[in-house]
Amino acid sequence: MKKLFHEFLKGVIKENPTFVLILGLCPTLAVSVSVMNGIGMGIAATFVLLGSNIIISLLKNFIPDRIRIPCFIVVIATFVTIAELTMKAYSPALNRALGIYVPLIVVNCIVLGRAEAYAQKAKVINSLFDGLGMGVGFTLALILISAIREFLGTGKLMGYTPIRGFEPAFVFALPSGALLVIGLLLGFFNILKNRKI
Amino acid sequence: MSVAQFLTIFISAVFIYNVILSRFLGLCSFVAISKETKPALAMSLAVMFVTTMSSIITWFIYRFLLIPFGLTYLRTISFILVIATFVQFVEMVIRKFSPPLYRFFGIYLPLITVNCAVLGVAVLNIDMFFINGRAIAGSFYYSVFQGVCVGLGYTLAMLLMSGIRERLDLCNIPKSVKDFPLAFIIASIMSLSFLGFNGFKF
Amino acid sequence: MKDKFIVSASPHLHKDESVSKIMWMVVISLIPAGLAGVFIFGLNAFWLIVLGIVSALFTEAVLQILTKRKITALDGSVFITGLLLAYNLPAHVPFWLPIVGSVFSVAIGKQVFGGLGQNIFNPALVGRVFLMASWPKYMTAFTKPFDAVTSATPLALLKEGKLIENISYLDLFLGKRGGCIGEVCILALLIGAAFLFIRGYISWHIPITYVFTAGLLTYMFGAKGLLQGDWLFHILSGGLILGAFFMATDYVTSPLTRKGQIIFGIGCGIITAVIRLWGGYPEGASYAILMMNAATPIIDRYTKSRVYGIK
Repeated sequence: MKKLFHEFLKGVIKENPTFVLILGLCPTLAVSVSVMNGIGMGIAATFVLLGSNIIISLLKNFIPDRIRIPCFIVVIATFVTIAELTMKAYSPALNRALGIYVPLIVVNCIVLGRAEAYAQKAKVINSLFDGLGMGVGFTLALILISAIREFLGTGKLMGYTPIRGFEPAFVFALPSGALLVIGLLLGFFNILKNRKI
Repeated sequence: MSVAQFLTIFISAVFIYNVILSRFLGLCSFVAISKETKPALAMSLAVMFVTTMSSIITWFIYRFLLIPFGLTYLRTISFILVIATFVQFVEMVIRKFSPPLYRFFGIYLPLITVNCAVLGVAVLNIDMFFINGRAIAGSFYYSVFQGVCVGLGYTLAMLLMSGIRERLDLCNIPKSVKDFPLAFIIASIMSLSFLGFNGFKF
Repeated sequence: MKDKFIVSASPHLHKDESVSKIMWMVVISLIPAGLAGVFIFGLNAFWLIVLGIVSALFTEAVLQILTKRKITALDGSVFITGLLLAYNLPAHVPFWLPIVGSVFSVAIGKQVFGGLGQNIFNPALVGRVFLMASWPKYMTAFTKPFDAVTSATPLALLKEGKLIENISYLDLFLGKRGGCIGEVCILALLIGAAFLFIRGYISWHIPITYVFTAGLLTYMFGAKGLLQGDWLFHILSGGLILGAFFMATDYVTSPLTRKGQIIFGIGCGIITAVIRLWGGYPEGASYAILMMNAATPIIDRYTKSRVYGIK
């Protein structure tokens, strides 16, 4: 049990897909304009991660090595389509907000990366926790970045205005601000990492 | 169809909504491969070829297969399969006709499959040039042209970034921002400067 | 004396120039424009300039202490950054604007790259564009000269297609128009530029090609018909002169070779003209220079002079 918990935690901190592995940045930067969008994308991606990790781990002995990448993609694409249709049906506003980045979860380096690096070699239960950990890590990263961008860029946080009289710097709602935030966060985490050693 | 529309697509895809600096598609390969100019250029040309060809193929599939059979919800799966197959095909052709080129590309060629820019532009074409399940006038030409321009935008960003990073290689960068953080900050400034083309009108 | 051996063939020319001295000469050359700005727009402009400079100095010193590098805050270069940033602001912006702008310019535009000589982009322009994208309503609130009444800049009026009344070329030349603190008085800017030319600190390659290209394009396409554009108006308006002579010419962020510099100047001119004529913003000089800054490493790579004996 402890080992499984470690699998989970690894995805959240030590091998956080966004800040450590630096994967899956395309959607991270694009949807992190508001915390709600970030959470939405995080949940969708976690769902796909869980599903694809489990199925691929279940089928790992049946997938020929030569065509494994296209096979992974088909599995992942299926889950993405499920997520996409569910979102369209139950949360069209979120679907509109996330735009083309929902179908793009198919080529999200995190999902394919975990399938390739982990799920095809590990037991199903381990893959499950790995997928969960990575998904949660990804979602937390999204929340962090969105919170910064939403607050600095619009002055609001989840719709509330915490500080009156704060003049938001609109640049943070723009792509440029997103790139800046991730660059500075990566640098900040590097400083923390160097201090620890 | 009008020249102004084509010009707008060009300016949008290359500058204002630059595929990397504004839409964030292809970022993974962007930060990984932009360290040196030669591989960056090679990757860019390959990406441009794939975005153009896949724009063509996916347009046909959407127009003549998915719409008539009411299968538009299979867009994502079918597009990515098409792209994966096409990249595999390109890989085989290059391997057969020019082994040195194949070796030069190395691992980067199969990586184009998962380059967000490729699937992204295919989906973008559909979103922009089909309304309510019908193709707008000139939809095919706009789609192909957008595929080309997205490739050009990718190339421009890669070229500029690789030149900058090659030069910074000779400099004494603070340890904490070396490589990735600085690459993002540079991209941020480039994105800021491209804002100048906002609101373009002919 | 051992470490003072000069390892190159004679003749050796002795010049009392150092990086620091050049920087301070540039500062001096910028003073007339600042004085003119304060004269035209009032004391508020003066405080903005002071805030810009002080914030820049402070930021550089703090960052260099934190990263345990040599403190070079007084070598003049960051003074220029703060000064130029303030020159790019309208005269009545809130006081925190130049502070935030300078901090950003120095921290992100310069120190993150490792300091002087290593930055790719002109730091003052990085700050300016950051401010523009963050607080557009402050950065475009211009006032009438000698007055605190809001007005639009001539280029903004042109962009909206409104008639430009009561502004003569002389007004533009002397600075009797709405605009940023350091950009309006062309006369003062040219005096400073002449000083730099005479002392040999800048060459004609970048500024002249920049201005000429922009002028040519606005002449060709600036009006309804071809070849009827008011090129003189365009050259004297906006931040073109300030940009061409003082920001595009920055040694660190522009190409090394003469050929490269000409390409740089032409590129800036084209982009500035294109944005002015067909883009959404009335002025494009800052963006043009930053984009060409990004292209400079590539330009250098392909225009490097051939070393004899090497293929």
